Amino acid sequence: MPAAQPHVPAAQPHVPAARPGSGPMTPPFRRVLVANRGEIALRIIRACHEMGMEAVAVYSDADAAAAHVRAADAAVRLGPPPPAESYLRIDAVIEAALASGSEAVHPGYGFLSEREAFARAVEEAGLAWVGPPPDVIATLGDKLAARRTARAVGVPHVPGTLEPAPVDRPGEVDAVVAAAREVGFPLLVKAAAGGGGRGMRRVVSEDELPAALLAGSREAASAFGDGAVYLEREIMPARHVEVQLLGDAAGDVVAIGERDCSMQRRHQKLIEEAPAPGLTETERRRLHAMAVRMGSAAGLRNAATCEFLYDGDGAFWFLEVNTRLQVEHPVTELVAGMDIVQEQLRLAAGRPLSARARAAADRAARPTSHAIELRISAEDPARVFAPTPGRITRWRMPSGPGVRVDTAVEAGDRVPPHYDPLIAKLIVHAEDRAAAIARLRRAVAEAEVGGIQTTLPFHRAMLGEPGFVDATSLATTWVDAHWDGARARAAAVRTAALAAGLAALAGDRASESGSAPRGPGTAEAGQPADPPPAWRTDGRALAADRWPA
Amino acid sequence: MSPRPHLPPTMIAGPTGADERAAGAGMDPRAVRVGVAPPTRLEGDPAFSLAPPPDPALLLAGDADTATDLPLVDGIPADVRLHRFDEVRGRVEQVEGGIVKRTDVLFGPPRPDRQRGAEVREVVVDGWRIEVEVEPERRALLRERARRSAGAASRGGPLEVRAIIPGRVVVVSVRAGDAVEAGQQILVVEAMKMQNELRAPREGIVERVGVAVGDTIEIGDLLVVIH
Repeated sequence: MPAAQPHVPAAQPHVPAARPGSGPMTPPFRRVLVANRGEIALRIIRACHEMGMEAVAVYSDADAAAAHVRAADAAVRLGPPPPAESYLRIDAVIEAALASGSEAVHPGYGFLSEREAFARAVEEAGLAWVGPPPDVIATLGDKLAARRTARAVGVPHVPGTLEPAPVDRPGEVDAVVAAAREVGFPLLVKAAAGGGGRGMRRVVSEDELPAALLAGSREAASAFGDGAVYLEREIMPARHVEVQLLGDAAGDVVAIGERDCSMQRRHQKLIEEAPAPGLTETERRRLHAMAVRMGSAAGLRNAATCEFLYDGDGAFWFLEVNTRLQVEHPVTELVAGMDIVQEQLRLAAGRPLSARARAAADRAARPTSHAIELRISAEDPARVFAPTPGRITRWRMPSGPGVRVDTAVEAGDRVPPHYDPLIAKLIVHAEDRAAAIARLRRAVAEAEVGGIQTTLPFHRAMLGEPGFVDATSLATTWVDAHWDGARARAAAVRTAALAAGLAALAGDRASESGSAPRGPGTAEAGQPADPPPAWRTDGRALAADRWPA
Repeated sequence: MSPRPHLPPTMIAGPTGADERAAGAGMDPRAVRVGVAPPTRLEGDPAFSLAPPPDPALLLAGDADTATDLPLVDGIPADVRLHRFDEVRGRVEQVEGGIVKRTDVLFGPPRPDRQRGAEVREVVVDGWRIEVEVEPERRALLRERARRSAGAASRGGPLEVRAIIPGRVVVVSVRAGDAVEAGQQILVVEAMKMQNELRAPREGIVERVGVAVGDTIEIGDLLVVIH
C-alpha cells in the first residue's frame, strides 16, 4: 500500500519567525515530524508552534480526523489502525518524514520512542532524533544492560538476574528455576524492552514460573517486538520515585527534580506528583546524584528518566531508565518552571542546556511548589480497570487557576480500541501539596465525561483517601490491595437510579414524536423514533378502570 | 409526614394472581421499576420501585394517613428530589438524617429498549457512568412472574460466556468437549496493548467455542458456551 502520501493541506500555515543567524531564540528546526498520536502528539505540536516551527503529524485510519492531525501543518497516513501496521512501522514513518521535508523526528512516548532501530533509522536518513542517541537507548533502554551499568557505577539496583531468561529453550527450565530461588519469591518477570507493566508477571511460587515466563514473553513480544524477559525481586512496600534527566551534546547531564509515581495499579501509573513528598534535601541530593551518575555513565543526551524504588528503610534501588519523554513530564515542568519538550527540541539541534534548565537543576533539591497529575483513562475502575473504548458523548474538562489539561479528545470522538487508554492528563500546580490536593478536588468536580467510563471516580475517591492526602500510604501496591471499585460505586448507582426514575416520573420519555429532548453529541442515537410506549396509555386505562367516572 | 409504608409492591403482586389486571390492581399506575441495565450492571446492584407522591384525590378514605408529598421508594416515602437545570444536567437532593446531600448528575437521552420494553438512559454520577433501566412497575412484575415459572426449567442450563471487553483474541485455551474448572483460563484477549485472561465462571463441559485466534471481538459477543 502507498505508505507515505503527504496529505492534508496546510489549513493554517505556520509561518516560522524570521531566522537571522542562530541565537538561542532561533527555532532549532524548520519542520518537525511527530511520530505519535493522542495527547502527546498534540503536546509536541504545540511546542513546535510556540517555537515558530512547523509540525507534521502521522496517523492511522482510526485517527484520520484526530486532534493531532488537525493541529499539525501537514499529516501523513501510515496505514490501518493496528499499531503494527501504522505507528510501529519504522519504514513508513521515515518515509513520511522525508516526504514532508521534516528536519527532525520527535517520537513522544510509547510506540517507537524507545526503539534503538528507529532512532538509528532516523539519524541514517539525515534527520535529527529528538531523544537520547541510539546507543544510549541500547544500553539504558534495555533494562538488563541498564542494570549492568548501575552495578558498574555503584548505583544499587533491585536484586535479580542480569541476563535474559531462556524462554524458548525448554531444556533450560531448571536453570531459570534455580535463578528464581536465588532471587526469592514473590518475584517479577519483567520484559527487558518493557515499560508500563507490559510483559510483567508476578510470580509467587516455582510452579507458576514457566507459565509466567511464557505469558510475559508473549506479551512483551506483542508490545515491543522483543520477547526477552528477566527476573527481579519484588520490593514491598515501596514507593516509585523517578528523576528527570536532561543532557546536552557536551556531555553535561543534570537532574531537574524527582517525581513520585507510587499510585499505580498493576504497574500502570495512575497519579504522579512532583516533588516526591517527605524527602529531605539530603535525600533529594543523593537521589539526583545517583540518577546523574547513571546518565553520565551511559553518555546520555536529550531527556530521560531514571526510576528508583524507595523502600520503607529510606533506601533507593535503581529500577530502570526510560530513554524518552515521560507521560508525567508536566508535573516536573510546572515545579521546575520550564518546558521540557522545547528543551528537548533545542538539545536535539545540538544546543547546550539552557540557562533555564541549569537554574531548575540548581533549585531541584529545594522545591518551592507542588504539582500533581491524574491520568484520566478509558478504563472502568469498578471492573478491574478493563478498557472502555467507545464514543465520548460529553466532554468538559476543568479550568481555572493552576489547572492544566493535556488531552486530544472531545465530545463526539471515538476512543479507538487499538491504543493506550490514556485520554487526558489533569495536572494542577499550587504552592504546596495540600493546596494542590484541594485544587484537584475542585478540578475533578468540574470534569464531566459521558459515553464512556473513565478513571475519574477512582481519582475522586483517592482525593478523599486519608492515606493519600497525608502521603502515608504512598506505595506501588496500595491500589491493588485497597481499591474496591464496586464499593466506591454503590452510592453513585443509587443516586443514578433515583435520578433516572424521578426524571421518568416527571415525564421524560424516550423520543415519541422525534421532538423529545436529546443531549448533545448523541450521534449514534439517530434511530427512527419509537411509537409511544403502550404502557402509558395502559396505565391511564387502568386508573380509569379503578375510578369509573 | 408518615413513615408508614404505602402499599409495598410485594403485597400487591399476589403470588397466585394469574391475570394481568390483578398484577397491577391497587398499584399506582405511574410507578416505575428502576435498576441498572446490563452493559453497566454489576452483581449486587440495587433495583427498586419508584412512585410519585400519591395523588390525594385518588386516595381511599382509609388511606388518609398515607398522604405524603414525597416520592415512594419501594413504597416508603423518600426525601429525595431532582432539580433539572436542563435536559442534560440535574441535581439530586437527598435528605438523610437531617443532612442535605446534593449530587450533580448528567443525563444521556432516554432510549427505548424494545426487547425488554424498558427505557434505558445513561446517568453519570461522580464520574461513574451508569446505564439505568426504567420500566413500568406493572410490566416488571409480570415479567418477574413469567421468569419464576420458567425458572425451574432453565436451571442448570448452558452458560454463555460473553465478552466484557472489546479486543482481539490472541489465545484460545479450550476446545469443544473439554472439561473446565471454575477459574480456568479460557481465552486471552488483547485490548489496548494489555493481555487479559478470560476465566471460566464455573465448572462444566465446553459445548461450543465461538471465536478463533485473531478474531476481533466486541462487548457482548458470545465467546464460549459451558454446559
